[in-house]
Amino acid sequence: MMKKLAAIAFAGVMAVSMIGCSQAPAEPNTDSTENGTDSSSVAGGGEQKEAASSTGVTLEFLYNLNGEAVSDAIQEVCRQFTEETGIGVEAVMPGSNFSDIMKTRMASNQLPDVWTTHGWAVARYAEYLEPLNDFSFASHIAPSIEGQITDENGVLYTLPIDMDLTGIIYNANVLEEAGVNADDIQTWTDFEDACDKVKAIGKTPIQMGGKDSYTLGNMMDYVAPTLITNENEANQNALLDGSFDWDNWNIVVDKINQWNQNNYFNVDAVTADFMTGISALASEQAAFMFTSASGITETYVQNPDTEMGFIPMPAREDGLQRSLMTGEHFAVGMSNTTKYPEEAKMFLEFLAREDICAFLATKCGMPSGLDNVTSDTGRLAPFYDKYANDAAILNIPYFDRKYLPSGMWNDLCITGGTILSGQADAKTTVVNQMRTSYEEKKAQE
Amino acid sequence: MKKQHRAMINLFYVPAIILFVVFVVYPFLQGIRLSFTNWNGYSQTMKYVGLKNYIRLFQDANVKTALINTLIYGIMSTVIQNILGLAYALFLNINFKGRTVVRTIIYMPVMIAPLIMGYIMYFFFQYDGGAINDILIALGMEPADLLVNSGAAIAIIVIVNSIQFVGVAMVIYLAGLQNIPAMYYEAAMLDGATFWDRFKHVTLPLLMPAISSSTILNLIGGLKLFDLIMALTSGGPGFSTHSLSTLVTNQYFSAQSAGYASAIGIVSFLLIMVISNVVTGYFDKKEVDTQ
Repeated sequence: MMKKLAAIAFAGVMAVSMIGCSQAPAEPNTDSTENGTDSSSVAGGGEQKEAASSTGVTLEFLYNLNGEAVSDAIQEVCRQFTEETGIGVEAVMPGSNFSDIMKTRMASNQLPDVWTTHGWAVARYAEYLEPLNDFSFASHIAPSIEGQITDENGVLYTLPIDMDLTGIIYNANVLEEAGVNADDIQTWTDFEDACDKVKAIGKTPIQMGGKDSYTLGNMMDYVAPTLITNENEANQNALLDGSFDWDNWNIVVDKINQWNQNNYFNVDAVTADFMTGISALASEQAAFMFTSASGITETYVQNPDTEMGFIPMPAREDGLQRSLMTGEHFAVGMSNTTKYPEEAKMFLEFLAREDICAFLATKCGMPSGLDNVTSDTGRLAPFYDKYANDAAILNIPYFDRKYLPSGMWNDLCITGGTILSGQADAKTTVVNQMRTSYEEKKAQE
Repeated sequence: MKKQHRAMINLFYVPAIILFVVFVVYPFLQGIRLSFTNWNGYSQTMKYVGLKNYIRLFQDANVKTALINTLIYGIMSTVIQNILGLAYALFLNINFKGRTVVRTIIYMPVMIAPLIMGYIMYFFFQYDGGAINDILIALGMEPADLLVNSGAAIAIIVIVNSIQFVGVAMVIYLAGLQNIPAMYYEAAMLDGATFWDRFKHVTLPLLMPAISSSTILNLIGGLKLFDLIMALTSGGPGFSTHSLSTLVTNQYFSAQSAGYASAIGIVSFLLIMVISNVVTGYFDKKEVDTQ
């Protein structure tokens, strides 16, 4: 009898732990990059002002940028804000499970006063965020990111201190050795020709770190828009209104499957981790990787002597435009239920101040999200300069955030792994998984 | 006086009951409630959807895969741990120099957190720079990406889990063996029983309480396997190595289907409860038979 009771108790604990247990979800990587600029003073910090007396108010600011230099810069900026206004800021980076913590805070409706919205200002956090249209910086939002941080009614939800401009990163030395000119890659056919040349010199054309499943999600997220939605309004509308025919997804599966058949990926594409991929790029053993520009910075940390760059996503055929994905990186929103709305507004205005915003965006090594602010993007500057204002390149949102219901990032990650594992019925499995998940989540909206 | 004493003793239960209600009963009841909703895990709004999550669950191929994997993890781990654990216990029940050291070495992996063990084993099995592949290369063979094949990955998870926790079974069996009076063996030997006869007719029947405890512990441990899977494969490729526990987490946080995840959690609770009760009932009967 006692054993039965013990067994039931064990089973009970197990079920509860399963319902409550947590694992960091895989979402597009928005980790910070660190630019090697001097952090000794925040812009304007040379001028010594008398510290304001304390107001007794402390704002809670949660952020997800985990680079040491960036984190130090954020803490420095918060200290300066406190000095100038007397308002305290408790700035906390809670770790890699930031997204889970925010979901828990949303579920319990106990949000911080201010937090970084990491790509989800509209799709996930809109109901908890204060509209920012009346702020002075609202008229300076860079056009390429405006669409990603405002809803269909034009409500602005977050302050974009900087912005992601994402393409495919590559090792220039490997491409040079293979006789590939990155600028010649205009279509996926050109990209495949480049992969063949890289393979011919015995190196890995596309490096993947599928154990960190977000890398698989990245690949699907990068390739899908070029084949499905770019310059195809019918598909864009169909995805948004729920009428998308998922048989069309076969084109994405076929493309990646073909690369897999051609052995463009590293042998351990599904089981290697992200950092193994970075090491392969740093040691000049691989050419391309589907990850944001922060991957370039990571590569330079391992091998500062190599040469890295990024290209826009190739077009599906001649005559169509290449594309770069634009989205939030370091973007800050404020709670619509904060106890200190005036203080939070002052903090956002402070972050948007030209000197402060430039300092933070420079620390991240990203272009600023405000058009009146210029940042130093270090070794990536030539690429941002080349692509940022090139009218021949489409600026597109992250595919999943724009066209898929919230929660389908998970499906991109999982189905990416299914294709690369070489599973016999991968095509049917992937299309069915995407269709079923899409229909279920659309029905819940 | 006696009544007062009993009331006093009952009072000591109160803290434990409060903790049990707060941390087990209440979340469990909330889990049941959530399983009838379409909650995404963070929104302030949710809709009751009746039995929809449960209907979906029985049609979902990924749940079927996770269920089969869960049973494989549970049953295979139990079989391997018990056979190996008993073998170790029989061996270590013999007096020899260094016996304590061997016991400690076999038990040591139990003290490592499963997640850490998973990461250690990942470095063992990984394609690039993994110990197995280094050995294969040294032997002039081709390296293999073992974790990409779902069958091989499941086998690796079972083996790693079994080897890590075989120490628990060994300790239970050792305690059981040391409780068997030597006179039974002496009597059997006088009757001319062979080693196998003594094992079959003396050791096994008298070990039944130990077998029962060990089986139940290992079975529940295998059925709720989580950390090791997350560290080795994260449930992939695709959904092919997920257990019900890892699938619950995946659906709750990554797929943002908290209601559906709760339904899977409730079903797996029922499954584990039924399996452990059936197994406990079976061993209870065996124990009675041998008394």
